[in-house]
Amino acid sequence: MLQGITRTGPFEWEVPIGYVGGMRVPGRFFLSDQLAETLEPGAVQQLANVATMPGIVKNSLAMPDIHWGYGFPIGGVAAFGMDEGVISPGGVGFDINCGVRILSTPLTVKDLSKKHELIEDLFTAVPTGVGAKSTLRLEPKELSGMLTSGARWAVEHGYGIEEDIRHCEEQGAMANADPSAVSQKARLRGMPQSGTLGAGNHFLELQVVREIYDLEAARAFGISAGQVCIMIHCGSRGLGHQVCTDHLKILEGATKKYGMNLPDRQLACAPLSSPEGRAYFGAMAASANYAWANRQVIMHMVRGVFARMFSIGHEEMHLIYDVAHNVAKFEEHQIDGRRRKVCVHRKGATRAFGPGSPDLPAEYATTGQPVIIPGSMGTASYLLHGTDLAMDRTFGSTCHGAGRVMSRTKAKKQLSGHEVKEALAREGILIRAHHNGAIADEAPDVYKPSDEVVRVVHEAGISRRVARFVPLGVIKG
Amino acid sequence: MHLIPDVMSFEELEHTADIRVRVKAGSLEDLFSEAARALMVIMYGVADPGILRRHVEVEGRDIISLMHAFLSEVLFVSEVDDLVVSGAEVRLSGTGLEGDLFGEPFSREKHLSGMEVKGISFSGLSIASGNHTYTLEVTFDV
Repeated sequence: MLQGITRTGPFEWEVPIGYVGGMRVPGRFFLSDQLAETLEPGAVQQLANVATMPGIVKNSLAMPDIHWGYGFPIGGVAAFGMDEGVISPGGVGFDINCGVRILSTPLTVKDLSKKHELIEDLFTAVPTGVGAKSTLRLEPKELSGMLTSGARWAVEHGYGIEEDIRHCEEQGAMANADPSAVSQKARLRGMPQSGTLGAGNHFLELQVVREIYDLEAARAFGISAGQVCIMIHCGSRGLGHQVCTDHLKILEGATKKYGMNLPDRQLACAPLSSPEGRAYFGAMAASANYAWANRQVIMHMVRGVFARMFSIGHEEMHLIYDVAHNVAKFEEHQIDGRRRKVCVHRKGATRAFGPGSPDLPAEYATTGQPVIIPGSMGTASYLLHGTDLAMDRTFGSTCHGAGRVMSRTKAKKQLSGHEVKEALAREGILIRAHHNGAIADEAPDVYKPSDEVVRVVHEAGISRRVARFVPLGVIKG
Repeated sequence: MHLIPDVMSFEELEHTADIRVRVKAGSLEDLFSEAARALMVIMYGVADPGILRRHVEVEGRDIISLMHAFLSEVLFVSEVDDLVVSGAEVRLSGTGLEGDLFGEPFSREKHLSGMEVKGISFSGLSIASGNHTYTLEVTFDV
């Protein structure tokens, strides 16, 4: 382990105040000995940098998929007090409400005799890759509807069913979204991209439930061994990216205006109560809503393909849940013996609310919130549930994925997209992408093993395993 | 056709999650042009000269935020106008910049081998000069 960091539990480490100058609270991260071998000093530095921000409460946290990002580390979680705290786009990221959803089908593997055809149909139905344009023809008024109402806008326009909304974090729309804080530039980027998957690590994956760890929770989530499910991973596209860029510029000025001294310009922030801070929150919430509408529209396209090919109804394919990975939200947490409203930033981290938490639908009230952890391409994904311990230790948060360990430059040099594709095909996993470079870049070897990351959050108790899924086919963005 | 002088170049540096590049040029103006081309090559795999031109004007608070604003503008223009920028002719005045981007239209046949860049990071954005060379290091979030 890096010098100056102390172990405080089997999977817990503390970065003491003083690790970098100006820290207001200690840093804390969750990691196994195996994962500690690939911990980057830059990521710990970023975790410590976050601890210097005004109004930070309790700890600057990182989940076991921690890695070097910009501003906050990826896997970073931090909460800020309402009076003295700040909000920062560096704690959310460019891809606002990048997130993931999983839907179940009534099918099992033996129903997939035409898997190749299914993958091709999904690839045709869902626009993917750089420069992809939507099949939706949005009017400006409709875009405003998406920004305000999120997944509800989509359902009201025929893209989905009522139950879908209850099975989204925040019911698929954050309150207090402010479309007027979303620039014309962001709107221009967002109009042709709603209902597109995007590129990079975004994907659509056909999976099968391979293992059940918690039968009761699995029953509540509506899944059983051998069942075919579909996972969708994407975010707010160019609209969210532009909102981040626009407000980063405004908040850079605000950082100076409010006399704040920060170790990284990407941590630019403003007091939560300031006009600049409120404008960013409103625009960010609107972008998050756009992302929920986006995933809802994509899921509708997926349901359409399955309905045609297998003669099943849309209502037979249940959205289990939808979670955000990159977002800042106002939440109430028990801090130092009292309930406090704070602004929780999660950057590459998943909300993992425990049993009985508000915002959970009645059917998940006793299990805790479903938590979806996608594996890297070709590796296992997991469904977990949130816990009381997460509420106590991590502001109800857990990991979001596997976390990269190999740079993209190295991946391109060492791995051939064609070979990766062939190797996965031998394991029965079909990959469909616009070009092989995208496959090499997201190959299983470039990520930490998802099994180990999930084992850490399970053992540490900040979420608990419910089921494990293995991939059958992947549409790469 | 606009010729790119030999002194302008860029290379990819190691970065686990994102794309980090080092760009070199003989003048500050050329540094902006080459940075735009680097961004486009990362995004589209190739950025060849073409007949399209697009005027841009951006402001910053200093040279770092000016570069950030300029590259963010190139990203925006490229996405909205379907323009793959191969270079730029820019004039700098204080912390402002104006000039033309040029390049070719985006084509799904030619330009699909890159990576989608989500934004330009302020983290580790640096510009240095020495030995008649300007050097930029910048991270693109992908």
